[in-house]
Amino acid sequence: MSAPVVVYEPFRAGLPPLGAYLRSLWARRSFIAEFSRSELREQNYGSVFGQLWLVLNPLLLSGVYFLLIYIIGGQSDSTRYGHLTASLFLFYLVSNSLTGGVKSITAGQRLILNTAFPRIMLPISAMVIALFKFVPTLAVFFVMRTVLGLDYSWQMFWAIPVVLIALLMGLGMAILISCINVYFRDIASFLPYMTRSLLYLSPILYQASDLSDKLKSFEIVNPIFYLLDAWSQVMVYAQAPDLFSLLHSLIWALAIFIIGTYFFLSRERDFAVRL
Amino acid sequence: MISLSASNSQNSTHATHGLAVSIQNVGLTYTTSIDNRPTLKARLKSLGRGKKHTRVVNALNQVTLDVHYGTVLGVIGSNGAGKSSLMRVISGIVPPSQGRVEVHGSVSTLLALGVGFNPSMTGRANVYLGGLAAGMSRAEIDQQFEAIAEFSELGEAIDAPMRTYSSGMYARLAFSVAATVQPDILIVDEALSTGDAHFKEKSLNRIKELRTADRALILVSHAMATIEDVCNEVAWLHKGKLMARGNPAEVIKQYREFTNTGKSSAANEDV
Repeated sequence: MSAPVVVYEPFRAGLPPLGAYLRSLWARRSFIAEFSRSELREQNYGSVFGQLWLVLNPLLLSGVYFLLIYIIGGQSDSTRYGHLTASLFLFYLVSNSLTGGVKSITAGQRLILNTAFPRIMLPISAMVIALFKFVPTLAVFFVMRTVLGLDYSWQMFWAIPVVLIALLMGLGMAILISCINVYFRDIASFLPYMTRSLLYLSPILYQASDLSDKLKSFEIVNPIFYLLDAWSQVMVYAQAPDLFSLLHSLIWALAIFIIGTYFFLSRERDFAVRL
Repeated sequence: MISLSASNSQNSTHATHGLAVSIQNVGLTYTTSIDNRPTLKARLKSLGRGKKHTRVVNALNQVTLDVHYGTVLGVIGSNGAGKSSLMRVISGIVPPSQGRVEVHGSVSTLLALGVGFNPSMTGRANVYLGGLAAGMSRAEIDQQFEAIAEFSELGEAIDAPMRTYSSGMYARLAFSVAATVQPDILIVDEALSTGDAHFKEKSLNRIKELRTADRALILVSHAMATIEDVCNEVAWLHKGKLMARGNPAEVIKQYREFTNTGKSSAANEDV
């Protein structure tokens, strides 16, 4: 018999065979893309501007926050505005992964109860949706920084590793929080306050260098503090990011991703009975 | 009649009458909360006493069953007999609590229609979405698209958003997509009673076309006439236990005697 034999046995917390798991995940890559695209479409379904909202949203967002710092901070130099916009856009990449990811398992109930597939696909597509939303904001930012007259340099290619770290971080967070939400549904209600706090604790409305050393040492526990700092150095000042910022964010991203994935994979066969 | 046939990527040849699914002493228990009102207060009260407000439901109990290639197995039983639970265990959606299930071959499940569909999208987009969810590749769907659209009899409506569809149109498209997947083992759970009489007939014929020597079909239905017509073996489940299996006519007779329904028309009606 040449057919593959699959054996289902009682659930124990533990990792599934990773090779087979990754293969079946890879086989479903076009489903992930199609699924994410249709979810994204649905979010703007029936609105007049439709997919144009992908560009309008970030524009309005940075406009509103500009008002905030202009009125409260009384400053309006172009570097500061550039910093605000760039940081805000990367922050939303991470926070959209979180908000999209939190209900990805519980909302996918119908899919989960009726089809067998690697469940991790659902939080992955939450991250993919956040990425789809991020790409137009990048274009908006590049137009904006040209208008603002900020310098360009080759160092800006550092943006690539920084975005990759941000994606890993967003993915890890989406996986972890989607799994937590299966067992503790209240987390979805806490989440808006958590992301809001994260927004204020991170160097977005202010610059990392504005903080005192004492405060800064506390920011070690903020996973995205140095990520955003590195991003601003690259995108606004067109400089190479400092090594510490890169390492700090990479270690955090890896830690969240590994813990989240382990937790998720070892529990996912239990999801169907918990929904 | 147009014929739908997808090239099967895992086109492994199976020895006729080879083992497709082996279910060995499988048990499944769910734990459900029995709090009438699941409030925080009740939760906190029970916390201190260490008393668990849960009830254990035995969905399946020591079920042993082999399904061979070439078999069309009908699964019957009253509501809550554990039919759907058994299908979920076989397809790997829910792990069994006891026992072991061996599956030799690729499984496709048709447990509910329109899984993975997004009502905001057009029928066309949902053919892709549903097909990909069922494990087909994009190229396979491209190839089969015309046949799917034709089988669903939607005509121009295929390019309209699915939220504008009637429930019958929705079900027709969903069945058309699902019936295109050609796995080694196909599990169909009460998904045949879709659309009007004409379409029911058509979908039943489609299932009959899928009966081949190198495929195993498992059909869950309350429609005894369909089961007797299509299946060559029947398993009867009652309260999680396997009561009987074997010749369709005999098992159905036993089941009817047990439930006292007789050969009423109501039980035959649905396909």
